[in-house]
Amino acid sequence: MANTWGYGAMTNSLGDIQNAKAIIIFGANPAVNHPVGFQHFLKAKERNNAKIIVVDPVFTKTAAKADYYCRLRPGTDIPFMYGMLHLIFKNGWHDKNFIKDRVYAMDEVMEEAKKWNPKKVEDVTGVPADKLIQITRLYAQSTPGTLIWAMGLTQHSIGSSNTRLAPILQLALGNMGEEGGGTNILRGHDNVQGATDMCCLSHTLPGYYGLSDGSWKYFASSWGVDYDWLKGRFHTKEWMNKKGFTLSRWWAGVLDGKNGNDKIHNGGTNLKNLIVMGNGITSIAQQAKVKEGLDNLDMLVLCDPFVNEAAILTDKQDDVFILPAATQFETSGSVTATNRAAQWRNKVIEPMYESKADQDIMFELAKRLGFYEQLTAGMKIKENKKDFQWPEDATDEIARIIKTIGLTGWTAKRLKKHSENWHMFDEISGRGYGEMKGEYYGLPWPCWTEKHSGSPILYNINRSVAEGGMGFRNRFGLEHDGVDLLAGKGSAPKGSANIDGYPEITKDNIEEVLGIKLTADEKRRIGKNWKVDTSNIIAEKCMQRGMAPYGNAKARAKVWTFPDPIPLHRESLHSARPDLVKEYPSYADKGNHYRVDTQYISKQTEKDWSKEFPINLITGRLVNLNGAGMENRASKYLAALSPEMFCNINPNLAGIHGIRDGSMMWIHSPEGTKIKVKAKYSYAVSEDRVWIPFHFAGHFQGEDLSHKYPNGTKPYAVGESANTVTNYGYDIVTQIPETKGGLCRIEFA
Amino acid sequence: MLKSTYDALKANIGRRSFLKMAAIATAAIATSALANDGITRSATEQEIKNPFPGSENIKTICTACSVGCGIIAEVQNGVWVRQEVAQDHPISLGGHCCKGADMIDMVRSEVRLKHPMVKEGGKWKRLSWDEALDRISAKLKSAHEKFGADSAMFLGSAKMSTEQAYYFRKFAAMYGTNNIDHQARI
Repeated sequence: MANTWGYGAMTNSLGDIQNAKAIIIFGANPAVNHPVGFQHFLKAKERNNAKIIVVDPVFTKTAAKADYYCRLRPGTDIPFMYGMLHLIFKNGWHDKNFIKDRVYAMDEVMEEAKKWNPKKVEDVTGVPADKLIQITRLYAQSTPGTLIWAMGLTQHSIGSSNTRLAPILQLALGNMGEEGGGTNILRGHDNVQGATDMCCLSHTLPGYYGLSDGSWKYFASSWGVDYDWLKGRFHTKEWMNKKGFTLSRWWAGVLDGKNGNDKIHNGGTNLKNLIVMGNGITSIAQQAKVKEGLDNLDMLVLCDPFVNEAAILTDKQDDVFILPAATQFETSGSVTATNRAAQWRNKVIEPMYESKADQDIMFELAKRLGFYEQLTAGMKIKENKKDFQWPEDATDEIARIIKTIGLTGWTAKRLKKHSENWHMFDEISGRGYGEMKGEYYGLPWPCWTEKHSGSPILYNINRSVAEGGMGFRNRFGLEHDGVDLLAGKGSAPKGSANIDGYPEITKDNIEEVLGIKLTADEKRRIGKNWKVDTSNIIAEKCMQRGMAPYGNAKARAKVWTFPDPIPLHRESLHSARPDLVKEYPSYADKGNHYRVDTQYISKQTEKDWSKEFPINLITGRLVNLNGAGMENRASKYLAALSPEMFCNINPNLAGIHGIRDGSMMWIHSPEGTKIKVKAKYSYAVSEDRVWIPFHFAGHFQGEDLSHKYPNGTKPYAVGESANTVTNYGYDIVTQIPETKGGLCRIEFA
Repeated sequence: MLKSTYDALKANIGRRSFLKMAAIATAAIATSALANDGITRSATEQEIKNPFPGSENIKTICTACSVGCGIIAEVQNGVWVRQEVAQDHPISLGGHCCKGADMIDMVRSEVRLKHPMVKEGGKWKRLSWDEALDRISAKLKSAHEKFGADSAMFLGSAKMSTEQAYYFRKFAAMYGTNNIDHQARI
C-alpha cells in the first residue's frame, strides 16, 4: 500500500464505514476479531442500507451477516479482483477522471484484467461466474464503497501483490479519499499500528525512515548521540544499512544453513541470543523450526506477564530466562488504533508481584550494557532537562523527530486531553465538539503541527490540508518512463494555493512551490526537506498555503521495483491445483531475503504436493482468544469458552476418513510435522479444506508439554499450535508467512 | 477450589496451615446457613450503592485489539476492583467483547509469572531481578565482543505502547543490530 500511494495504513476509520453504501471484505473476519468495531459495519447496513460482501475461503461469522458470500479457493484473491476489474473496465464503471488525474499506469492493469473473464475466474477461484458478475455490478454501482482486509490477504507468498491490487480496485472506482470509501486494513493487536510506525522492524528506523546513512545521521543527532559512536556499535558500518532477520524467519538465523536449512547472511555470525518482549512466538509459522531454533540458542530471554510458551516448547536446558513484564494497565503511554489515531492509556495499578514495565527492563539492561545515557538522552533534549519523565518525555521526543508520518502534533499533553474528553467527539466523523472543536478524535496521523486537526481520511482532497485534506504522496519521483507522476490540474486539496500537482517540499523548492519568501532567520533554521525539518517551518508554511508537505502526486498502479510491477496471480507454493501451478508458477528463488535464502519455485515444483496433501489448510481466530493466546488462555473465563484445540471439518470430508464429530484426528503437513486435534463438524468449511485456530500452545505433535510450566503458571487451556503444521512459504517482498495458503493430509487418530 | 488456586496457596503457606484455614472456611460456610449468626450480615443500602468507598475511576484503553475500546477501571487502595464499559467512548460506544470485558481478570490472573526465573540443568529456578539482569547483560556483552552485535535478535511487540516500541527499536540500534522485528510481519 505504501508503495501505491505513500502510506501503508488504514485510510479511513471504523466510524467512517457507516458512510459506506457497500462494504467488501477480503480475508478478514471483523465479527469475530473486532467485534466492537463491527458494530459500525452493522450500523452502515441498518442506517445506510449498505450491502456487505464477504470474499473468504471459509463461511465466517462475518459472512453470516453479509448480503453476499463468495467462497474463494485459498490464495486466489488476485484472480478474483482482476475478475472484478475485468467487468468494471468492460462496462465502463471505472472513474475515468479520477484515474486520469490521480493514478499512474492503470492502462497496464486494464491489459492484465482483460485475461480474467468470469469463466476463467470461476475455474481458478471456484466462485461461480454469475456470482462474480452480480457482486461486481453491485459494488461498482454502490459508491462510495469501502474495501476491508486483514491477514487473509497478507499471509501469502503473493501477499504483497494482494495488498496492491486491492488499492488498485478502489482507485479504479474512484473510492479513495472519500467518506465511506477507502482501503481499511483491520490491524490485529491493539498497537500494531503504533509499533509499526515506531518501526520495531528490521528494515527501517522509526517513522519508516529506512536504513540509509542519511537516516542514521538524522536519528543520531535527534537522539543526542554521536554518529560515530553509534556506527561503532555495529559489526561494521555496512551492517547498519542492511535489513535484519524477521519475526517469521529468525530461526533460520540460528540454524545457520546447517542440515539442509536455508543459508544465511548475517554479519559473520549466526544468532546466539534471542530477546523477546511481548511476542507470542508460538504463533509463527513452522513451529518445528521455531523449536529447533530455540533449542540451538545460547540464551533465550522472554519478558511477558505470563510464561511465554516458547519456554515450554524448547528442550533447551540452560539459560532460558523468563522475566515478569507488567501488563499495559500497569504502566501508561499512547496506543495507536487501526485508524492511525492515538489514545492515551492511563495506568490503572502498579505492577503486580515482582513485574516490571517494559521500559524499566530496557533501561536496566542498558545501564549494564553501558548505553543508558545515550538511550535516554533524546527525552531531555527538547527542554534541556537533567532528568526525564516517562512516558511523556518519550511521547514528546517522538513528536519532535517523526515528520514522515506527521507526528509533530502528537504531544503527550494533546493526546491526554483527547482521551480525557473522549465523550466530546462524533462517532462517525470523529469531529470534536465544544472545547475539542476543530480536532478529530485521537488526531489521526498525519497531524502536521501542534495545532493541526489530524487527518481522519487519507488522500481526501475535499478538505483543506489544515482540516485533514491531502492528495497522494509524492514518493516515487517526478516522472517515470516519461510520464508525469504529479497529480493532474484541479485535484489539489480544497483551498490549496497551488491547484496543480506539486513535489514534496524541500528547503530548495519551498519558495517556488509555495509561492512565498522566507526570512533570513527562517532560511537559517529550516531543515533540508519536510522529513527532517525539526524547525517545522515547512509544515507551518504549508498549512498557511493549504498544501501538504509531502506534495501532491499520483498513486501508482505499477511498482517498477517489485518482482511483479503489475500484480500477477501466482499459485501458492503448496497448491491443490497442479494444473494451475504450471500456468501461474511462483517466483524464482530469492537469495539473501532479509538475511536468509528463500525458496519459491524450487519448493513449489519439488513434487506434486497435492497428491499426498490434497486438503487446503486455513488458520484463523476465535472471538475469545487473541494472537498466541498467551493472555487469554490465562483467564479461566475466556479459556472455558474454548478449552481445547480443534479443527473445523466438513462432515462429508470427515466421513471419508472415519472421523466422527468430537473424535481426535491428525493433521499432517508437507513439512513432515503433525498435530493431534479434536474434530468439530462444521459446514462453514467446504469438503476440500479444513480450518484451525492459531491461539493454542503447550502441546507439540501429539505430546502434552504441560509438565514443563513452572509451578502455578500453566494457563487454563493448552493445545496444539496450528503453526506446527503451517507450510513453508514466505512473501516475496515482506517475508510474511504463507499461513493462509497451505496444504495438509488428515487421518483418524 | 481450582487446582491452581490450591497450588498457589500451597506454595505460600504450607500444607498444615492450609488445612487449618480450610477447616475454618468449612465451619464458616456451615454456620452461615443459619440466619444472623454474627459472621455474615446483609449489606447496607449504602454498601450496595457504593461497595468500594473511596475508589477512583480511571479511563483507559483495552489491550485486546486495534479497535481501541474505552474502559473504566475502578481502583480502590491500589487494587483494580471493578471494570465498566465506557458508554461515552466514540468508537466502542459502550461495547465490549468477551476479551475486553476480561481485562481485569487477565491482569489479576492467578497464573501470571510472579518473579524472574531461569532454567538451569533442565529445572526452573527463582532468581532476583538483579541477578537475572546481570547474567543476561553479561551474556549480551560478551557475545557483542566475541561474535558482534548481529549475534542477537530482538523481538518486540504490537502489545507495547508506542513509546516502548520506539525505545525497543532504539535499544536494538544502540546494541548495534537491525535484527529486530515484531508482529506486523505475521
